[in-house]
Order: sequence, then C-alpha cells, then structure tokens
Amino acid sequence: MTDVVTENPEVTVLLVDDNPQNLKVLYETLKDKGYRLLIANEGEKALDLAHRHHPEVILLDIMMPELDGYEVCERLKADPETADSAVVFLSALDDLQAKVKGFSLGGADYISKPFESQEVIARVKTHARVIRLEREMQSRNRELQGDQTRILNSISEGIYGLDEQGTIEFANPAAARIIGCAAEELIGRNFFEMHFATADTSDEHLPVMATCRQGVAENQRDVRMLRADGTGFPAEYRATPKLEDDELHGAVVVFHDISAELENEKALEEARALVDEQREQLAHTSRLTTMGEMAAGFAHEVNQPLTAITNYARVSKRMMAKEEPDLDLLRQTLDKIEAQSHRASEIIRRIRKFMKKPATGKEVVSVPALLEDTRQFAEVDMRNNKGGIEVQFEEDVPDVLADPIQVQQVALNLIRNALEATRSAGSDAPVEVSARRCGEHCVRIQVRDHGVGVSEQAEEMLFHPFHTTKEDGMGIGLATCRSLIQAQGGDIGFERPEDGGACFYFTLPVAGVQGEPCATGEA
Amino acid sequence: MTDIQQTVYVVEDDEAVRDSLELLLKSDGKPVQTYESANAFLKDYSDQMAGCIVLDIRMPGMDGMELQKKLNDKHSILPIIFVTGHGDVPMAVDAMKEGAVDFIQKPYREEALLEKIEAALEQDREQRKTLDEKQEIIRRVKSLTPREREIMDRMIAGQANKVIAIELEISQRTVEIHRSRVMHKMGTHSLAHLVRMVLSVKDLID
Repeated sequence: MTDVVTENPEVTVLLVDDNPQNLKVLYETLKDKGYRLLIANEGEKALDLAHRHHPEVILLDIMMPELDGYEVCERLKADPETADSAVVFLSALDDLQAKVKGFSLGGADYISKPFESQEVIARVKTHARVIRLEREMQSRNRELQGDQTRILNSISEGIYGLDEQGTIEFANPAAARIIGCAAEELIGRNFFEMHFATADTSDEHLPVMATCRQGVAENQRDVRMLRADGTGFPAEYRATPKLEDDELHGAVVVFHDISAELENEKALEEARALVDEQREQLAHTSRLTTMGEMAAGFAHEVNQPLTAITNYARVSKRMMAKEEPDLDLLRQTLDKIEAQSHRASEIIRRIRKFMKKPATGKEVVSVPALLEDTRQFAEVDMRNNKGGIEVQFEEDVPDVLADPIQVQQVALNLIRNALEATRSAGSDAPVEVSARRCGEHCVRIQVRDHGVGVSEQAEEMLFHPFHTTKEDGMGIGLATCRSLIQAQGGDIGFERPEDGGACFYFTLPVAGVQGEPCATGEA
Repeated sequence: MTDIQQTVYVVEDDEAVRDSLELLLKSDGKPVQTYESANAFLKDYSDQMAGCIVLDIRMPGMDGMELQKKLNDKHSILPIIFVTGHGDVPMAVDAMKEGAVDFIQKPYREEALLEKIEAALEQDREQRKTLDEKQEIIRRVKSLTPREREIMDRMIAGQANKVIAIELEISQRTVEIHRSRVMHKMGTHSLAHLVRMVLSVKDLID
C-alpha cells in the first residue's frame, strides 16, 4: 500500500506490549505501511518514547507487569505532550467493563486479541488520519491565535473587552501601558470605577455606558480618563457593542491617549495664529507703504479744503470790515468754511481708518459703498490719469462677509496698479471697476484697465512674493492681496483681455450664505 | 486802447477752491471768470481776452501744463499763474520754461496770490500795449502801396534817394515824393524811428 507510505510519511506509531511475540506480530503487520514504528515492552519505556516522539497512534497492551495499560494511558493523557495521541487498547480481555474503563481513561479504540492484521491495519490507518488532521487543525488554531495575539499586542491603541456591567474581561498590552499597570491587574476591575472613579454605574452619561447597557456605539474625543495611579489623561475612544446572536454581551472599547495629539493641535493652532498675525502685520505694513506712496496725493487732497477755508475766511473778514456787513452772505460763507473743514477731516478720517491696526475683522459689507469709498481714495492718485476710474455694479450685488479694510486695501492696490499701467501706456481709457454676483455664494469684483498689460512671463509669477516689474517695487503687493483675499475665503486671479490691458478680479463670500467656497476663474 | 478791462480767469477743478477764490478776488474788486476744466476755458478762449489766468496745475482730464501748451499754440499772451500742490515744484519749473509768469503753492496766503495777480495783470497790460503798438505799425505798413513799400525797404536798407532812383529807373524827384508819403503814412519824421518801428514787426510782415 504505497499510498499509505506517501500519505503518512510522518506518522509515528508506538507499539507497547510486554510480550515480544505480540510485538513482533504487530511490527510485522505494520512494518511496510509507511509508518515510523516505535516499540516498547513496558509502561515506563512507552511513556518515555511517547513523550519524545509524539506518536499519532499508540497500540497499548492492557495487561502488563509494573505499569498496566490503563495507568500508562492515564499518564499519557495527563502529559500535554502526549495527550492528543490516539490510544488503542490491545487486550484479550473482551469484556464490556474493560472496554468502558479504557474509553473512560481517554482511549480512542479497542482491539481484541488475538487480533486480525487487517483490523489492526485499518484501525491504525483511521486513527492516524484523525490525529494527523486534529494536529493540523490545532497547529492552524495556534497560528491564528498567535496572529490575533500579535495584532492585539502590537496595536498601539488600548483595547478592552467589557461585560454588560463594565467589568474588564480583556485588556491588550497597549491598554495596560496606557493605564500604567499589568494587563492581568486590569482583568476583573470595573471599567467605570477604574477610569472615571465612580461606583455609580447608573449614570447613563458616563462614557461607554450606553454601549454596555443599550448596545449603542459611541465615539468621543477629549474625554478625561484616569490611569491606575489616579492621574488623568485626555482620551479618544470608540465603543462598539459586543453582540452574540443579537444578544448584548457588553462592549469592546478601543482608546488612546491624545495628549500628544492635543499638544500638536495646540502647536498647530499657535502656528496658525502666528501666520495670521504676520499676515496682519504684512498687510498693515503694505497699507503704510501705500499711504506713503500716496502721501503727496493726500497732501494735495487736504490742501484743497484748506485753501478754500483760507480764502473763505479772508472773504468773511473783508465782509465784516464793511459798515453794514451782509450777514446772510457772511453766514453762507461760514457754512462753506464748516463744510470744507468737514471735508478735510473726512479725508484724514479715511486715512486713519485705513492705517488702523489690526484691521477690524469680518463684518457684513456693502460692496457698492466700499468700492465707491475706494474710488474716492484712489482718486488721490488719479490726477495724472486722464481717463479716471469708472465704478459699475449690478443692482442685485449682495452684501459680503469680509474685513472691509483688507478688502479696500486689495481693491485700492489693484486700482492703483491699473492707473499706473494706464499712465504708462499713455492711454486715456478709464480704469473700469465692476462688481457682480457670481453664482450662489460669491461676489466678483473686477478691475480692468487698458494699460500696458502683463507679459506672459510676468503672468506666471504675478502673485508670487518678491517678483515685480516695477523699478522701485518690492513685489509684495499682489502676494499680500492674495493672502488677504484667501483669508476672507475668496480667491484672486488675473485674466488676459483679448483687446489688451489687464483684468484682475477677486471674489468674496456672500454674507449669510453657507456653502461652497467661491468659484474661481469664471469670466 | 490800453485801458481795456482785465479779468482774472480761474481754471480750477475743485469746486470749493474755485468758489472761494472767485469770492476772494471779487471782494478785492477784480472781475473774475471761473472755469471747472481746461477744456471749458479753451472753448471760451478768444484773443480778445485780457487779464491773467490762475491755473491749477493738476486737473483730471487736460491738466494745466497741457492747457498752457495749447494756449501757446494759439499765440495767447495771457500771463499764467500756476497753482501747485506740495511736490509739484518740478512741474512748476517746466511750466515756467514754457513761459508761465509765476507759480504759487497751495495753500497760499491771500497777499501773495494778489501780489502775483497784480504783477501778472501789469505784465498783461505791458504786453498788450506793446502788442497794440505793433499792430498799429503793421496796420500802417499794410496801408503802403507796393511801390511805397519797396521805397521804404530801400530806405531802411540805407540806400540814398539817388541810388534808389537809378536802380528803380525813376527820377529822384519821384523817389522824394514816395519817401515823404511813406514817412507820412508811418507817422514819423525820423528815419531812425521808422527803422526801429519796422524792425520791431519785421517777423510779422515778411
């Protein structure tokens, strides 16, 4: 039976009998069947061989001097190394009691003497196969368990298995590490007492309680849990109900210490705040620079009302010097003086507002009003431009949510650039400023000029810091604009008009409308 | 002729400055005419205008400098006082090179402005007088017959009657008659005065 040989190359069979004749017969019967055969003529020797070689099948004679078969069987079953071997008793005792005793001691089968070799071969073959399969299965089981244990051990999150009362039935090494004691010490402790220092398990609002009691999955972040030594730590956990056939058997809790995470978040938050602060700073510096560049214009702008005031004052004095002063005319002139001083202070107010630091923060802003204000601002610069600035907006332009000063800064920057480009081109065309609603969520403001335009080379670097085409420029204007507009939740961009010049636009979110950030690039 | 009425023409885009300046100059007894832009002034301009222009150098649309150039093209002799702001000095210098009388920086003192206006008006009077005289000379030159004009040119060139008579193949007596008519028409008895008069308008009659 060569198939047996190939099929059972590793199968070991131990033959135990005090009678050499019997041993010989057994040996002869099984010798060419592909088994590794071991032979013992007494109990102790059999136990020793079995312990060392883990035979699949042991043919064991009951009636032996010293240790009899029953005792050998008992000891084989008691030794974990040999407990899984199939013990087949051999005896002339063909009574029921002997068989029952054999089975009760863990015997697998029984062959009566004198035995038929066919029967021996058949039974050994059957048991050898059973044991082999059993061993394979166990080894697979061990592997699987090993895998599971490795996973549970290597996972960095703590894992608890709880019963419905919150008693800890299982804890992985990570849980022990986080809590600060041995895993064994955790088993049997009450989860709620241990980590939330409360014996009052009726408190439904305790973390994980709902999962244990109602089978509701939970997920919470920044929950304060206690370690074994009573100190607290911020934790994040997920609790999943443990169900067997729809019946609730407690919960599985996966948790971890988020101290480091929270610290990172805090650091990130601080870094963000710093970036915001630096953006504010840069924006403010940029506003100061703009004001510096516009200083001559502002001086002119303030000088106008001052000149008028001086003139009116002179006229008034002259009127009063008359014998019968025309009081009506005098009052009119004084009114004019008053109006002009308001005009001067309005200009100064506008400058001060623009220079204010920090900017006022986001508020609901009327776009037409803001653009009109900005136009007046920019007109200070416009005296060398013939075309001027034209502001147009659709009637239904909604209010936006933005920082008005920063938006004005961006609009002013774009308008001044446009005026400069127009001047450089010697063009009389006006700078066109327009605003319209753009989709549900944003308002698009556009500054279009017919000036020298932007070279394709320059276009690529337009919004990059420290790139400039101006001789005395620092190259921070548009970069600052972009950062400011992005801080408002909008976008800024450039479009190349077909008929020359340049077109810059930016978008701002409509006030009171939740939703998508502003669409970009749509003409 | 020299007592023609002089007006101060104010060209200023800023309404308050324009209005206050008008009141100020009127209260000083000066006829004033105001314009809100260079274009408005150009449209109104004629060579009959006398007085001076108070011109804002920076204005939207056509600025003061451009108006000055346009007026120069029209041979205007109206003196211009430029009103400048802070930092416009380089522009003002250019304006002076183009023939502006003066400039004044905003905000200005009334006295300073009035002084400059007085000076400008005086200059206008002078120029206008000179211009009137020249125009009179031209008018007289134009009243000469071609023959008289030819004789006068030769007189100014210093030719003696005898020489003129030979060259023109006329009698010396005829030359003398022409000569006395020229002197009469030109309103002078002195050859030296005649020479000076004609030379002063030489560019305009050739």
